[in-house]
Amino acid sequence: MRRGIFAVLVGAGPLLAAGAILAQDAPRLRGPEPFTKETPAPPMQRQVTDDMRVGRNYPDQPPVIPHSIEGYAVDLNANKCMSCHARKFTEQSQAPMISVTHYQDRAGNTLGGLAPRRYVCVACHVPQTNAKPLVDNVFRDMDAITEPERQPARGRH
Amino acid sequence: MDVTRRTLLKTQAAAAAAAAAGVSLPAEAQNIATGEDIRLQWSKAPCRFCGTGCGVMVGVKDGRVVATHGDMQAEVNRGLNCVKGYFLSKIMYGGDRLTQPLLRMKNGEFAKDGEFQPVSWDRAFDEMAKQWKRVLKEKGPEAVGMFGSGQWTIWEGYAASKLMRAGWRSNNLDPNARHCMASAAVAFIRTFGMDEPMGCYDDFEHADAFVLWGSNMAEMHPILWTRVTDRRLSHPHVRIATLSTYEHRTTDLSDMVSIFKPGTDLAIMNYIANYLIQTGAVNREFIDKHVNIRMANTDIGYGLRPDHTLEQRAQNAQNPQVSHPSTFEAYAKLMSEYTAERVSELSGVSKEQLEALAKLYADPKIKVMSLWTMGFNQHVRGVWANNMIYNLHLMTGKISEPGNGPFSLTGQPSACGTAREVGTFSHRLPADMQVANPEHRKYAEKIWKLPEGLLPAKPGYHAVQQDRMLNDGKLNAYWIMCNNNLQTAPNTEHETYPGYRNPANFIVVTDAYPTVTAMAADLILPAAMWVEKEGAYGNAERRTHFWHQLVNAPGDARSDLWQLMEFSKRFTTDEVWPADLLAKAPEYRGKTLFDVLFANGQVNQFPLAEIDPDYENREARHFGFYVQKGLFEEYAAFGRGHGHDLAPFDVYHEVRGLRWPVVDGKETRWRYREGFDPYVEKGTGVQFYGNPDKKANLVAAPYEPPAESPDPEYDMWLVTGRVLEHWHSGSMTLRVPELYKAFSGAVVFMHPDDAAKRGLRRGQEVKVVSRRGEIRSRIETRGRNRVPPGLIFVPFFDASQLINKVTLDATDPISKQTDFKKCAVKVLAVASADVGGQQ
Amino acid sequence: MSGECHISSLVVHSRSDRVQAIIEGIRSLEGAEVHGGADTGKLIVTLETDTEGQVVERINTIQLLDGVLAATLVFHHFEPVQERE
Repeated sequence: MRRGIFAVLVGAGPLLAAGAILAQDAPRLRGPEPFTKETPAPPMQRQVTDDMRVGRNYPDQPPVIPHSIEGYAVDLNANKCMSCHARKFTEQSQAPMISVTHYQDRAGNTLGGLAPRRYVCVACHVPQTNAKPLVDNVFRDMDAITEPERQPARGRH
Repeated sequence: MDVTRRTLLKTQAAAAAAAAAGVSLPAEAQNIATGEDIRLQWSKAPCRFCGTGCGVMVGVKDGRVVATHGDMQAEVNRGLNCVKGYFLSKIMYGGDRLTQPLLRMKNGEFAKDGEFQPVSWDRAFDEMAKQWKRVLKEKGPEAVGMFGSGQWTIWEGYAASKLMRAGWRSNNLDPNARHCMASAAVAFIRTFGMDEPMGCYDDFEHADAFVLWGSNMAEMHPILWTRVTDRRLSHPHVRIATLSTYEHRTTDLSDMVSIFKPGTDLAIMNYIANYLIQTGAVNREFIDKHVNIRMANTDIGYGLRPDHTLEQRAQNAQNPQVSHPSTFEAYAKLMSEYTAERVSELSGVSKEQLEALAKLYADPKIKVMSLWTMGFNQHVRGVWANNMIYNLHLMTGKISEPGNGPFSLTGQPSACGTAREVGTFSHRLPADMQVANPEHRKYAEKIWKLPEGLLPAKPGYHAVQQDRMLNDGKLNAYWIMCNNNLQTAPNTEHETYPGYRNPANFIVVTDAYPTVTAMAADLILPAAMWVEKEGAYGNAERRTHFWHQLVNAPGDARSDLWQLMEFSKRFTTDEVWPADLLAKAPEYRGKTLFDVLFANGQVNQFPLAEIDPDYENREARHFGFYVQKGLFEEYAAFGRGHGHDLAPFDVYHEVRGLRWPVVDGKETRWRYREGFDPYVEKGTGVQFYGNPDKKANLVAAPYEPPAESPDPEYDMWLVTGRVLEHWHSGSMTLRVPELYKAFSGAVVFMHPDDAAKRGLRRGQEVKVVSRRGEIRSRIETRGRNRVPPGLIFVPFFDASQLINKVTLDATDPISKQTDFKKCAVKVLAVASADVGGQQ
Repeated sequence: MSGECHISSLVVHSRSDRVQAIIEGIRSLEGAEVHGGADTGKLIVTLETDTEGQVVERINTIQLLDGVLAATLVFHHFEPVQERE
């Protein structure tokens, strides 16, 4: 109903015309044109290290890591991530506590600490570089579909 | 002030104004949406990526996928997904999705050197049919080919196999699984007479030791790795031993790490066999009752072109697959050459490490699970490597029981379900049957209601051979579906690309995105993907898993199944079948291939009314019957009663997959073992019933060196592979910004000493050069992969750095699977003028 | 940056035949959001600005939109912006 009041015309994501599809703007996706052409290697990208939390695309998305994790040990002796994100360290580190889901084992029992199956943090949580996306992704946030009039304007914060 | 606080204040502000104006804004006055608006439709599906087969819950709103999360009810992953799986929601929404067919044209006509122009499906299929008919007429069925996929749904693979073999009478159908699983598949049949693992993922919770042979599970099978690490960290007695050619995230969490020289895993396994024999750890009773001993043909070449010196020189390049009956004593004698001293020197692994490893297998109290993927399979002796690991488990009887067993991990989501079980390899038919076997062909002809003698007997061209034949102008009409072979095949600049652009050939690529392969095609057909169609996959533990169509594909994009079936309407039997065969089945005269293959009274027997009314099904609506159900039930007839039993179609839409054979409604977790497998006769204990004598074959083989090793000029080993964040050639994951930003491009992982020796800094641009080709990339001396001196690792997902221009097209001569893990390269600095802006 | 955040709300009384155009006009202003009220012609609008001056400026702009009968400030709140949470 709310949507009915001021439907914002988001419309179906515009489907690129054939000309645009074939524009050679992304050798990382489509390779050199022609295939045999020698391509310089793009520069390596710098890690994002600003510690600014990044919003999630949907509730179950594991948050991305807004800092560098270079040299972090996650081995049989130590888990560097937990030295800030474990419950008992979050007050001093001011890092977000690991999700409560991370206390559950495979059988669904709640444990007193990080479940061993969740030990390898980087299987789900990944750091980010400042690389520019190679192509738009027209995924739409569920909030934008359910209540388009309530979306924070882009780039304001 | 954070965003939440601002929102809250604005909500209060709006509420105050609304109250002042007497305007009713009940929902606006709340700061969260409630009720109908936030209801999502959730449905189950398997993940689109690797062979693990995780269950995913997919949330849909207004015809769009808006959320995904790990399925708590899925046995495989119990609520977990890896980072790729968590971002499945976004893979279909890359801004450059293909939405209409594109044909290379000049002046309104097809031209090999023309520019891509959008055309209708009719125009696309008209041109394609014209080219197919031309080739069939001029050259016959052997000039027509198709390269399919372990990412096809089960019915897509099945429909493709039927159309190729029964329609166009060509076995030139091969899946990209050839690059990925062929060695495992061939060795399974060679050893057990039946494909696919005897055990299942439940072994993870029962094993005392995990031995990973060349597998980096932490990145390539992250969710199975959670089950391994869970077991290890929860049970202190458990050990993880990892063998690899470099250190990585898996070795970080391993108790024992052995870094060996490429290719010497063969010698290490034979050393362990020797250790078992020398220390009396062999279970002779098991061997005598359940195992035949055979000797493999040796000196079998490297699957290169026949005129290559290495092939000319090899004694058994013509008959690499042959093995001869032998005795345990002869086997023991061959193994006795593999002493700790010799193998330690050959492999670079210390004698202490070798012995510690051998003891895991020798100790009868330790339940051992051996795991491998591409390390073994992409190996010029891949079948041997697979055989050798079976030998260790057979000698100790550590097989087919909880926690004990060799377990072949798969790369693709339906490498097992589609590529192998359905029979999309150039030598196979459904349910492990072979095209070369007249009985098997007869059986297939009967189920397919075809005239006897219709199916071609000669195995077709395998993946690498297809590229060579395209290159040589002998394969001329070629359809690539659901893979990106120009990025992922070996030696692409010399063997793959020239074939695609050969003027004698017409190349069609069906894909969802404009990939490297699509860009080199003549006709691009836009594909529906994942939950844009009803589908089924089969994972590495024999689990068949279904999903419904949840959203529509954009524009004119259509599923591979729709494309295969719709295109079959453009051929009549008179055009493609010889007259003498048609004379045997006059009722098929003048019929289209669609009529005889799909509207055959079997595939079209289930009406639309049987479709779950909650879900759309575009293919069924288009063809007028429940296509998927009909194809599945016809296919299932091949395996039922033969150890490949599948449950009824509808059951799979209810459950989170079932592991075949499904007998009397029950899945099978451990095959070949009494009490677990209903096919094993009472009182026998163990029966490897895939073979007529119900025994497994222990196939003995020696160590033989790789096809190409470093020398003074090309002084480094090149190993290629994947990274956690990207799936294969990256055509889906590179279009998800979060995944792209997590691993933003390929790099050359190099040891710091090797970099220093060449005067290279981290981030510097280099050329990686082999005898085949070269690419430009950048040096990485830190990070997740730590390679030894003399070896580099380069991932293959990045199309701006096509490492497969560098790799060698050597294959295992038995399985025909490429060795992407071993060739010789040199690494040179790019002249400083060329160096880009490294920061 | 001023180091303050001002949140305010107003009721914009609009001629019924101009409501849609007015909504679009308001939306084009930085920091302005329309929350409802179109069916009665009394639009509920919030403003998010850095200074008090900008609040007045926005209201003036809205009042000058074609078809606006009145724009009345109902709620105003400001607080300092902290660097981060």
